[in-house]
Amino acid sequence: MEHAQEIINSTQEIFSSMIMLDVTPGEPFIRNNDKLINSISGIVGLAGATKGMLAIHMTNAAALAVTTAFLGMDVEEIDDDVRDAIGELANMLAGSIKSILDPSGSDIKLSMPSAIYGEDYSVDCLAGAEAVTVPFAFDGLGFVVELQLRKDS
Amino acid sequence: MDFAKIITETTEEIFNCMIFIDIAASPPLAAGKQAMGCHVSAMIGLTGGLSAMLGIHCPSAVGLAVTGAMLGMELEEVDADVKDALGEIANMLAGGIKERLSTENIALELAIPTAVTGQSYVISAPKGSQRVVIPFTISQGQFFVEIKYQLN
Repeated sequence: MEHAQEIINSTQEIFSSMIMLDVTPGEPFIRNNDKLINSISGIVGLAGATKGMLAIHMTNAAALAVTTAFLGMDVEEIDDDVRDAIGELANMLAGSIKSILDPSGSDIKLSMPSAIYGEDYSVDCLAGAEAVTVPFAFDGLGFVVELQLRKDS
Repeated sequence: MDFAKIITETTEEIFNCMIFIDIAASPPLAAGKQAMGCHVSAMIGLTGGLSAMLGIHCPSAVGLAVTGAMLGMELEEVDADVKDALGEIANMLAGGIKERLSTENIALELAIPTAVTGQSYVISAPKGSQRVVIPFTISQGQFFVEIKYQLN
């Protein structure tokens, strides 16, 4: 699937360099707007000639483990620190993927990250973009990174 | 950059001219307050002279009423039509904001809309970002138009 390898490279690089976690990629798939249960999502809009969205969807347990490793402090509930960390993670991933897809830096601009969290929600991208999602595993926990892109002609 | 005024004017314009529903704007929510009781949202990123996320948040009944008016059909559940309609409204709102800010020499580009639906979710913004939320009332209830932004 197009862009799966870029997602894998960017995610492994960010996790190993910024969070000190080795993450193992699984088979890329098309996420069918599945429900997210007790989860948190970091999302960043991509604007410019290529538009889209980069999202990372994690269970609460994975988000706590990642934030604990990221900030170097124990976090036990989904609080402001976790929401900020997951939004920032989405921002870093989007920045890394942008640098691969758009080396000149002129085609894609990132918007502000948001975190969505709750017991039961789904996140759909609209407007007929092409989507690919890659699952990752670490320490028995998992998350997915989803990239949706639409190139304006 | 009076976002309360910009959002109110843009939203009224779109609902009056494109959706043909009467809406009544209320004053912005107090700082720190979020839209509550919403089960369908659409959001879209804007970037350039500032970095922002524009969102519209509705209880299901309001999302169904707005979509029904837009499409000229009765809807019974929050389905793909409702998500698409709200995404399109978010897109139009962001376009209106972009146009108004261009007159203040703030250039913006839009991302593509994302829909969030569910029984229980909250959308947060990074620390240090500003948030303006305007409630609007229609006969089925209230919806909220929100912008979160940071100066670049």
